[in-house]
Amino acid sequence: MNITSLVFAVFCAGTILVYWCLPARFRNWWLLVVSTGFIITWSWELAGILLVVATTNFYLGRWLGATENRQRVLLWIGILFNVFILVALKYSNFYIEALIRLFTRIGFGVGAGGLQLLVPIGLSFITLQLISYLIDIFKHHLSAEQSWLKFSIYVLYFPKFFSGPIERARTFIPKVNAPASLTKQQMIRALALIFLGLVRKRLFADALNAMIPMEAFVHPLNYSAPILLSFLVAYAFAIYNDFAGYSTIVRGVSSLFGIELINNFNIPYLSRSFTEFWTRWHISLSNWLRDYIYFPLSRALLGKIPAHDHIINIILPPVVTMLVSGLWHGLSWNLLLWGGIQGSFLVIERISKLRGPNIPPNELPKYRQIIGIIFVFSLVSLAWLPFRMDLITAKRYFAGLILPSNWAAPDWLWLKEVLRGHLPISGIYKWNIPDPRIILVLIPAIFLDWVQNRKNDELVFLKWRRWIQLALYIVVVLGILMMAFSDTGVPFVYQGF
Amino acid sequence: MLRSFLPKKILSSVVIQTAAFFLVVITIMEFFARTSWAQKTYTYRSVGNYHYQFEIKWFRLQDFVQKNGGVDVIILGSSLVNTGIDPAIMAQSYYEQTGIHLRIFNFGVEGLTIAPNSVNARILVNKYHPALLIYVTEMRDYIATDGLDYEQRFLSNPWIQYQEGKFNFTGWLIDHSMALQYYLPYRNWMQANFPQLFYSSFIYCSKNTLASGYEPELAMGENIDLPPDPNNPDDAQYFEAYGNFQIAPSRMGNLHSILSLGQSEGTKVLIVEMPVHSTFYVYVGGDKVHKQFQQTISSFVLSNGGSFIPAERCNDIPLIGRANRWHLNYLGAPVFSSCLGQQLAILADEQNTHYLNLDANSLK
Repeated sequence: MNITSLVFAVFCAGTILVYWCLPARFRNWWLLVVSTGFIITWSWELAGILLVVATTNFYLGRWLGATENRQRVLLWIGILFNVFILVALKYSNFYIEALIRLFTRIGFGVGAGGLQLLVPIGLSFITLQLISYLIDIFKHHLSAEQSWLKFSIYVLYFPKFFSGPIERARTFIPKVNAPASLTKQQMIRALALIFLGLVRKRLFADALNAMIPMEAFVHPLNYSAPILLSFLVAYAFAIYNDFAGYSTIVRGVSSLFGIELINNFNIPYLSRSFTEFWTRWHISLSNWLRDYIYFPLSRALLGKIPAHDHIINIILPPVVTMLVSGLWHGLSWNLLLWGGIQGSFLVIERISKLRGPNIPPNELPKYRQIIGIIFVFSLVSLAWLPFRMDLITAKRYFAGLILPSNWAAPDWLWLKEVLRGHLPISGIYKWNIPDPRIILVLIPAIFLDWVQNRKNDELVFLKWRRWIQLALYIVVVLGILMMAFSDTGVPFVYQGF
Repeated sequence: MLRSFLPKKILSSVVIQTAAFFLVVITIMEFFARTSWAQKTYTYRSVGNYHYQFEIKWFRLQDFVQKNGGVDVIILGSSLVNTGIDPAIMAQSYYEQTGIHLRIFNFGVEGLTIAPNSVNARILVNKYHPALLIYVTEMRDYIATDGLDYEQRFLSNPWIQYQEGKFNFTGWLIDHSMALQYYLPYRNWMQANFPQLFYSSFIYCSKNTLASGYEPELAMGENIDLPPDPNNPDDAQYFEAYGNFQIAPSRMGNLHSILSLGQSEGTKVLIVEMPVHSTFYVYVGGDKVHKQFQQTISSFVLSNGGSFIPAERCNDIPLIGRANRWHLNYLGAPVFSSCLGQQLAILADEQNTHYLNLDANSLK
């Protein structure tokens, strides 16, 4: 069940209606039943495993909270258990062939499909939540949850099942206590979030993704630099709107149950520094990495080397944190490189700030803010290359962007002939100018970010005049319907992590 | 209980107003699409099928029927029909033999085997009630795996399913909304290959397809008369695909479905074997295999109330009239079309009929 599908909309509508009709004491049970049912539509085995994982962590948490001795051992057992489940299911392709060979050698021949494991959708996100839960109990930031039901909802809650946000138990579980009612304002806000998410996903992300030919990520040198640049910008906005769109939709859906999920994106491409970028991009993951990798590592290092400006203290925490982030996205060299690049950006930024005063980005002169936004966006976009493709292709793509010979002048004559109808429109990439369709989609996508940032309100359109709102809604509904008839529509990018 | 939790008047505000305005907007768009100005201005229409050529043929046939007051003969088949039969020449040939002018339409669509065409045949016969349906076939039609991808994509189209009688909202909407039909050719505007695809498939194909559905092929084949070589990689793929030729029962079921239209819909059904070049039969195992195939199909067609014209009756195609071992070009198509017209006249005489569609429903 894809969350932009009509089936999901009907599922949510029915589920929410029943939820509010039920007496309050049954609502949490209903949430757990529908969440499990939702996961079963993907894989009943996964639902079963997650219930076992949730129950194990629930009792581990209680044990951890109750005992005074061997707390650290228990914590590590819990962490290793969760990591083991993640590795066993998510990274099965790394060891499954070796296992088949081993079984065959000892006389237990199994076919290629015999050891195939289920698709671990959402598991990376759930694992981080569970680890944070155990660490928080260990550090006495949180008491162990005494209700299995609420804890299971924390793990399986269907709106955040696919790709987060990565909620903390200490903030999420108190919200599971059902509120008395849903106010008109809450409902409008929830529907507006779903609307906004659909705009980002269907109108911006899906369209931009479709506009980039697959070949560009396989043989990038077949395209001139201006076109590669336009594809890179399109990809940067596609991946952002894809994940931000997903996060916004699930926040809207969850709000209709009276449970507010945290905002995962806050207009990251308008960040003026890399540090700011990581407080605006995939916020729940960034916060998790900060709290459970960066801070503990920094503190540990400072314990050994007390000087804040020591090179080890400057380099190690951000680089290690971002490398872990890269590995969390997938076990591959290109994602490790992506993490390394992001870590390097943070290190260089920290070094550059060592000498001067540390001025908050919003207090910088306007021109420096604009330069900062362009600079950060450019480098972050370049870093998407190893995120999207293997190392060799990423290197070729990069070469295609910087080689002077690849910067051919736009073929205006060709374009003129096409506009006159003398040449077919088919040779669009031979013109050496960015695909106009990409620009057509980027303009409203950038405008949306700009207006949200300017008013510091993601639902700024709710304050516009009614006739403007109606016109906007109609255009968007028409746009989404038009997209529905196209042969596009790709799964959420982060569903793969 | 629900009332106490759900906010009142929520529906009366934004949602209802948006829905109302949306309805107004789409109504205006639909009215606009139905104006004669829009119909003259917007050349292309689509029913959301992946196969652009099918859509071109579908709307060409609609125009053909409107212009000619009906259609007497629909010729159905794959690209072999599309480029191999010129209905104008066929009609002329028939006229010379009988003095009767037939309104013939070529509905050959690239890549469609007998499986999707059996569905297509039913849809066309139900809609236009032609006096005669000609299905042009060849051996590959009966290989179970041939054209499977095309078949699945074609048949999964909501509009095709709606035409088949399987109601679905999308199919219904496409069938009834002119505005949507005008938009659908551009539905993939955001896809990277859309400019190329739209040009080569829609604009080019549309320009080259005549009002009768015939699309002349300009290419001329080389070395067609040389037998294919299994060691040549170009030929090897065909040996692999067509060797060990066996008639798939499912495909015979499709043939039966086409033939049954003769009994249930009153349309006569003629099965014609395409005169491919004799060297093609090397791929499938030689002339002996071909003869067996002909016998099987011929007896099946005759026993199910249809008529069958084997390939050798119209096989005087000059070598320069072939685009490759299968397809005819603009020089070969007239020869075959003329012969087919003559064969049809002979058949009409034998069956004591004229293949004219006198059904008033043909204009439906």
